[in-house]
Amino acid sequence: MTWYLVRRTGLLVLSLAAAGVLVFTLLRLLPGDVAATIGGLRAEPERLAAIRADLGLDRPLVEQYASWLAGVARGDLGRSQLNGSSVGAELGRKLQVTGPLAAGGVVVALVVAVPLGTWAALRSRTAVGTGISALAQVGVAVPTLWLGLVLVLVFSVRLGWLPAQGFPVDGWADPGAAARALVLPCVALGLTEGAVLLRFVRSAVVGVLHADHLRTARATGLTRGRALWRHGFRNAALPVVSVLGLQLAALLVGAVVVERVFALPGVGSMLVADVGNRDLVKVQGEVFLLVAVVLVIGFLVDVAHRLIDPRLREPR
Amino acid sequence: MRRLARIPAALIAAALCTAACGTGDAVDPGPVASGQEATPPDDRLDLDATANVRAVLEPTSLNLFGTAGAALDQVLLDNVYEGLLSVDPDDGDRIVPRLAESHTASPDGLTYTFRLVSGARFHDGTPLTAADVVWSLEQQTAPGSKGVYAADFDAIASVTAPDPATVVVSLRQRDTFLLWNLAQRGGVVYRRGTDFASLDGAANGTGPFTLAGWNRGATITLRRNPDYRGARPKVAQVVFHYIPDPNAADNAQRTGQTDVQTAADPTLLRPFTGGGFTVLRGTTTDKYTLAFNATRAPFDDPDVRRAIRRAIDKRDVVGAVGAGTLIGSAVPPQDPWYEDLTGIDAHDPGGARELLARAGFPDGLAVTLTVPSIYPRSIGDVLVSNLKEAGITLTVRQVEFQTWLSRVYRDKDFELSLVDHAEPRDLVNFTKPGYYFGYADEQVREWFAGARSAASDAERDGLLKKVARRITEDAAADWLFLNQTHTVVREGVYGVPVAQTSNRYDLSALAVAR
Amino acid sequence: MTRVVLRRPGGVFGLAVLGLLVVGGVVSYWWTPFDPRAADPARAWLPPLREGHLLGTDRIGRDQFSQLLAGAGGTLVAAVASAAVAAVVGVALALAAVLAPRPLRASAVGLIDVLVAFPTLLLAMVLSAVYGSSLATVVAAIGIGFGVGVARVTRAELLSVLGSDYVLAARASGARTGRIVRRHLLPNVAPTLVVQLSLVMALAVLAEAALTYLGYGASPSSPSWGGMLHEQQAHLAARPLLVIWPGVAVAVTVLGCNLLGDALRDAGDPRAVAAR
Repeated sequence: MTWYLVRRTGLLVLSLAAAGVLVFTLLRLLPGDVAATIGGLRAEPERLAAIRADLGLDRPLVEQYASWLAGVARGDLGRSQLNGSSVGAELGRKLQVTGPLAAGGVVVALVVAVPLGTWAALRSRTAVGTGISALAQVGVAVPTLWLGLVLVLVFSVRLGWLPAQGFPVDGWADPGAAARALVLPCVALGLTEGAVLLRFVRSAVVGVLHADHLRTARATGLTRGRALWRHGFRNAALPVVSVLGLQLAALLVGAVVVERVFALPGVGSMLVADVGNRDLVKVQGEVFLLVAVVLVIGFLVDVAHRLIDPRLREPR
Repeated sequence: MRRLARIPAALIAAALCTAACGTGDAVDPGPVASGQEATPPDDRLDLDATANVRAVLEPTSLNLFGTAGAALDQVLLDNVYEGLLSVDPDDGDRIVPRLAESHTASPDGLTYTFRLVSGARFHDGTPLTAADVVWSLEQQTAPGSKGVYAADFDAIASVTAPDPATVVVSLRQRDTFLLWNLAQRGGVVYRRGTDFASLDGAANGTGPFTLAGWNRGATITLRRNPDYRGARPKVAQVVFHYIPDPNAADNAQRTGQTDVQTAADPTLLRPFTGGGFTVLRGTTTDKYTLAFNATRAPFDDPDVRRAIRRAIDKRDVVGAVGAGTLIGSAVPPQDPWYEDLTGIDAHDPGGARELLARAGFPDGLAVTLTVPSIYPRSIGDVLVSNLKEAGITLTVRQVEFQTWLSRVYRDKDFELSLVDHAEPRDLVNFTKPGYYFGYADEQVREWFAGARSAASDAERDGLLKKVARRITEDAAADWLFLNQTHTVVREGVYGVPVAQTSNRYDLSALAVAR
Repeated sequence: MTRVVLRRPGGVFGLAVLGLLVVGGVVSYWWTPFDPRAADPARAWLPPLREGHLLGTDRIGRDQFSQLLAGAGGTLVAAVASAAVAAVVGVALALAAVLAPRPLRASAVGLIDVLVAFPTLLLAMVLSAVYGSSLATVVAAIGIGFGVGVARVTRAELLSVLGSDYVLAARASGARTGRIVRRHLLPNVAPTLVVQLSLVMALAVLAEAALTYLGYGASPSSPSWGGMLHEQQAHLAARPLLVIWPGVAVAVTVLGCNLLGDALRDAGDPRAVAAR
């Protein structure tokens, strides 16, 4: 186990380093630079060169990379080249919007997918089951953008129940207002995710229903539902959770669209704006942290698997 | 066959959406109000109100001295920072006094004397003196200045303060643009010794509002300056909400999240034509400019450029974006040297073909347009259709704005380009030798220099008219339209700026009814 | 397998949708009722079936049916090409992560991990900034973005196949790697791969629409449904029909891809057939 931990940690560090290089190099391919954003259309070439020199953009790329890496190693993601704000602090603020948005989206997705998916699996040969499956197919096919627009028109403009856009100026100071601002975005994000997930839940449950141990359980006199509840869910949950994990990275694109439709100041909108302004130190800090979070979650899940699942342990 | 039930389900979902969203018929902008209601007396106003204003572009920094972008001017100029002079866009761009209560020019036009207002203070409490003005202008004129607008002041020889309330600006040569330039961002007065890098996220001006907070990616809050020397603002707070998406902005305005929506999409004004809102229309300086790369064949031939100008029906383009004014040159009607030049190379597909044939392209031409992706895609489609009638095959290449900056603006690697030249009074671009238009005309340059050092405004205006006419006759570029800006105002909100709202947005008259 | 697919209504529907897409795309290459991009402001906002405009016209008078037809080609290319890129990326990475010599294998595994965590959106932004927005940059971004996901799943499949008795037997009998890959590995992962790719096709259509909305989609010169959705979405409240045409087209296509995928999965999995 110790040897495994050492090896897995080494792999994590290597992956993080690779991610750093990848992010840094990819961003350097972008045409244009932050000097053009600062100087604007009036700036003469000499002025742009002076701005670059001020920001240290005229140093060799390797040197820029090294100094950035040294900062990251110290836990310092650097500062915006445009306005000097701390990248870490800025990310923290935006995560207060995007974090709850993504989490809320996943909750909505699970609330939709698990009961409906299970139900559809249990009634797979009836009209109800087919109906649910059909609904899921349609749900997958509806663009998030569309869903968001319709939700706003119905629940904000027509009914006036929830705010149409934006996030409170003072953030979570008033938790009620902040939560209300996130309801529609979470639903828009979660329904599509939920529709994708529903299909996996359904097929996972169908698979488990035909598994031997469940047949045995039913032979002991349990109903199908109870047998599933007692013995099947844990097995069905594994593939569903791994699909959910895969969706996490894809969630960002969805989150950006939702943040745009609802004008939320989240990580996604920030990333798009920063790429547009070529505030590259900020972009690489943001992307690196996002990638790192996913990698670390993957690491923790792997280690947890190893600890829980006896089949994966090395023979002693 | 059970599964086929899924197909109608998709259609039903679509139909449900139709029912839920409702239908509206005409989306053309309804009646636009001719003016605003007069602001009621103070006892009927809520002097503690917070006004919420939708804006589009967020500043990238608050450093008004060193960072470009109209978004900074919009929120900071006149509100937080002030210059010696200002401009009133709602009064035909009249130059009005601000920190200077009066100014005089010597008969030879080489010395300007400004008399400062009394009682002006910076937000940190320091009184403003002539030394601050001298210092601020010297930051612009210093060699290698980092000021974005430093080039505006290259005629200044020296700035002195004979006493704490008087500033004297001496020029090397006459400069008819000086007062205008002083009224822009370059003339802003900072506290002597300000470290501009410290202004990235903070502010220390003399204006009627102080900067209360910047929630990056969302809002900027301004608060009434209780120590302001003049009439105090009629609202306690103004929050600028940066909402780029036009639909989200519309919804915010419809549901009362914002009181004022600037830059409303003219094709989406339908919800505001009923009761409860007023729609105001104002002019802008946004000249949508179709540039030709005049250094590259075949665009070095004026006939080819003129053929393209004739091929485009500007009314179709305006129809595609919803609203706009035809200008026919680089000068908007509010400039004193405006002249209606829309008659030169007006829409005439047959004439365009003739010109093309004369230029050696009887069988037409294939050209590529590079356009930043921030503009409506429909403009490109209208251009494709228009040019096709004249035998020109147009390919539209959409690029990110930064890509446009480096490929087109810097490297001049393009055939046609479309971009909004938003800066006011920017005829000078047609006289810059290395500019991306690639247009060079010695006579134009001479006229323009003459206008700058003219003895009177009338002489200046006459020369600039000649410049505008010449660049139009030469088809140095094509001007598709001058943008119009629409502001939606909630009932009970008064004193809203109407014209050129993206360049400066003076909030001092903004008021909210009780 | 083909016959099994055709026996299922979902499979038939999926194939029919793809067939329609192909026909629409091919036909629109030579003929559409109107020039899909021809603006005719005099005939703006026409309702359906007026003056020969089957589905009406938009704000600048473009024929919606012609746009839809012309968009079919672009959408089909986006879907199929994205799936193809995803397949190549996915299978190549997965094979490398399973069969390559040890150090290379580890780095391939690490690369998959990193790329899965990497936001596709950033890739799309960089590609469109460098090469200009086009269908190709969208396809590349979506293909690579989903391809690494495919790689991860395929690698797991490959590992389980590699551990199976018949592969062990083949190895013991001295079969070369190339032969094992061709005879045993690829055929065994093919069913899951096909299902995943059909999902990628469906998601690619949606992703193209989302990227276009964010300003990183295909250029206006190549009409696509994502582009139509993007342009018309502002008028959702006032002119819902204009958003519904491309919206339904996207939804039906995605539905078709998904149903085809389901049918293929069922066809490849005898257990699933028995379960019904």
